[in-house]
Amino acid sequence: MTTSAILQAINGTSLAALLFLVASGFTVTFGLMRVVNMAYGAYYLLGGYVGLSIMRATGSFALAVVGGGAAVVVAGYLIDRFLIHYTGENHLAQVLLTVGIAFVIGDLALKIWGGDSLKVPVPMALRGAMELPGGLVYPAFRFVLIFFGAAVAGALWLLYTRTQIGAVVRAGVDDREQVAATGIDVDRLFVMVSAVASFLAGMAGVVGGAFLTLYPGAEWEILIVALVVVIVGGLGSLGGAMIGALVVGLLDAYGRWLLPEFSYFVLFGPMAVLLLFRPQGIAGREA
Amino acid sequence: MTTAVEVESLVKEFGGLRAVDHVSLRVPAGERRVLIGPNGAGKTTLFHCVTGTLAPTAGRVALFGRDVTRLPEYRRTALGMGRTFQISNVIADLTCAENVMLAAVGTSPRKWVLHRPMGTFGDVRRTAEANLDLVGLAARAEDPVRRLSYGERRQLELALALTARPRVLFLDEPCAGLSPSERARISRLIAGLSRDLTLLMIEHDMDVALGLADRVTVLHRGRVILEGAPGEVQRNPEVREVYFGHV
Amino acid sequence: MTRGRLAAGAALAAAALLLPSVAGPFWMGLVTQMLVFGLLALSVDLLLGHAGLFSICHGSFFAVAAYTVAILQVRYGVSTLPAAAAGLAAGTLLGLVFGLAVRTRGVYFILITIAFGYVVWGVAHRWSSFTGGDNGVTNVPFPALGGLRVESHTEYYYLTLAVVALVALGYRVVIRSPFGLALRGIRGSETRMRTLGFDSNRHLYAAFVLSAALASLAGVMYVYYNRFVNPVAASFPVSVEAALMAIVGGSGTIIGPFLGSVIILGLRNWVSSFFELYAAVMGIVFIVAVLWVPEGLVGLAARARRRSQA
Repeated sequence: MTTSAILQAINGTSLAALLFLVASGFTVTFGLMRVVNMAYGAYYLLGGYVGLSIMRATGSFALAVVGGGAAVVVAGYLIDRFLIHYTGENHLAQVLLTVGIAFVIGDLALKIWGGDSLKVPVPMALRGAMELPGGLVYPAFRFVLIFFGAAVAGALWLLYTRTQIGAVVRAGVDDREQVAATGIDVDRLFVMVSAVASFLAGMAGVVGGAFLTLYPGAEWEILIVALVVVIVGGLGSLGGAMIGALVVGLLDAYGRWLLPEFSYFVLFGPMAVLLLFRPQGIAGREA
Repeated sequence: MTTAVEVESLVKEFGGLRAVDHVSLRVPAGERRVLIGPNGAGKTTLFHCVTGTLAPTAGRVALFGRDVTRLPEYRRTALGMGRTFQISNVIADLTCAENVMLAAVGTSPRKWVLHRPMGTFGDVRRTAEANLDLVGLAARAEDPVRRLSYGERRQLELALALTARPRVLFLDEPCAGLSPSERARISRLIAGLSRDLTLLMIEHDMDVALGLADRVTVLHRGRVILEGAPGEVQRNPEVREVYFGHV
Repeated sequence: MTRGRLAAGAALAAAALLLPSVAGPFWMGLVTQMLVFGLLALSVDLLLGHAGLFSICHGSFFAVAAYTVAILQVRYGVSTLPAAAAGLAAGTLLGLVFGLAVRTRGVYFILITIAFGYVVWGVAHRWSSFTGGDNGVTNVPFPALGGLRVESHTEYYYLTLAVVALVALGYRVVIRSPFGLALRGIRGSETRMRTLGFDSNRHLYAAFVLSAALASLAGVMYVYYNRFVNPVAASFPVSVEAALMAIVGGSGTIIGPFLGSVIILGLRNWVSSFFELYAAVMGIVFIVAVLWVPEGLVGLAARARRRSQA
């Protein structure tokens, strides 16, 4: 029984790694720029599909990951500049606009890559299984994913808390006007942060496509679970996104294992509890 | 003699900043108390804590002998509190009449009625009209508030505070941002209010304050530095220094 | 009510009543669908246009009501009236639970409703032993009340029209009532309303539950029209489109959500007949609506009228 429990813990943590990649972009984008971007799921899908095509053409996983991320950075920039920019701080407009954008991306993806479930091939070097103490055999790729996720989380955290740019972003999340008043080019900061967020989402798509597969509708599933992460962790908080991702990832894995038909209820539970006692989330500011 | 408002050692902190630092006040019923002090003295924050908009960090607030420290604003209103905001806080999308009608039903179970249009409540309508008339906005009853001038919104603000027949009225700089004639009008209105109504007013303008007050409390950096009759306060050197710099 | 409005209303009523005599079953079905989704859009607009809350989970109440009716009628042979009542109750009950969301505001509220809606979709999708999974529940009969039984699409159309007309009348009373006015007050300035004596959370909760009940009614009407229900009814696109319909038609009005439903469903029907990427087209409609027509059709008409009067 315990080996299964450990198995689920690893499953949950690998999902958490993926969720963190998507959620962190969303939460920091909101915290700094007050933009609600519901197309993050579509960014994930787009990145994944582009990565898949690159993988098919070149056989290089590294290239696929970078390429997928880059494609989303470009798309994200255009969308920010020519569409989202015009919604100001109207969150309702942003939600509807970015949902529309997600519909467009999703449909185009359907046309280009078809409706079948596609898997991004795992590179040879990362295939195979690892044997764990207790006789447990587990796909090596998942471990790589966990380390990768932890590495990105660590890098982001360092950037956020120990560099000057990170300090500026943190200050901006707290008080945008203050940052603008110090003379820092706020627009360029926003573009940079957006680009990082988009890159993470696109990258997540390639990596996620290797173990979760890509299919029409995946963009909504990943987005909404990432939203639960953001709610639980608090909007605007990077640390909250980390904790939230772990909580949600583990809950999802254990939920699917213990109560397969009601696993979605398991997601609902913590949110309901949070709403009753702490509506602003674990680490977020007052709602 | 009933005490309308009693504040005991109130503290309000924001992160590291202590905006209100152990303030105590006692306002007897029927008195007109004016709170003065330079910008940043903590007057509005104090008001927020006493009226329930903010929760104090420490201390106690009582209205008519009843401890209301942890009570939400709407419960304090039901106990007889009325208040105006420093920056006009009226409902811009609705008409003046609609604003005042809401004020009229705010403390009555009527606010839960959903099977009859508001317009069918004749007495609510009449109360609204009377209060608008009192503040001089009768002609603007059907106009959307959005179209009102700043001065007119201040008048509406006062009408809203008065409609539910409060026992104690909290006015936060009612004359702020008004032209001299508008100021005079609002001052007259306030002066003309019944003596049954206890008044607690924040005012920046010394003349208005001293003209209306029975008693003045001076706040500086979150603390009460002086409390007394208007003349006494006006002559006090410490107050003069705080307000006008070194004399 | 101006004479112009009255005339327009009468013309609309006449057209609605005469429709079956000029239109074939396809159009009848489409118009019925427009009415049903218009009802769903109306339920979303009670919160959006009056209370200022943007909820994207109303598809949940819609679907739960539909599934309840379907399962009761098809699997347990329950007759229409109790099944419909149970459907309404089930959706409203869910509304009582999801209403927890009103403890938040703004973006949090939107995100939480999205997540809640997703949970319902997930349950419908995975609990296949009960909900039939992706296949859903089929063969829902036409409604029957005692001896009266709906026999055709035309008759169901008239039933739907009657329900919509009654709801519209009731809705009109509610939005002009003290309760409705209070909602608009809270939307305008919650702090002001709280200082006037209103417990804003309670009012918003009540509005949420009421709108859930209305969405449930739409769900009941839907399942008898469609004769079948599957997880798509609870999906995110359904909920978000209901909001879009309210906005495109004119949020804050009674006819707006229905106009929006006509536009969106009509557009989708037309586009999908010659273009397979119609989801992308709908996406573009979202984008265009948000950027260029935020006040909806009713707002546009009002603007045009004001300009002609100037």
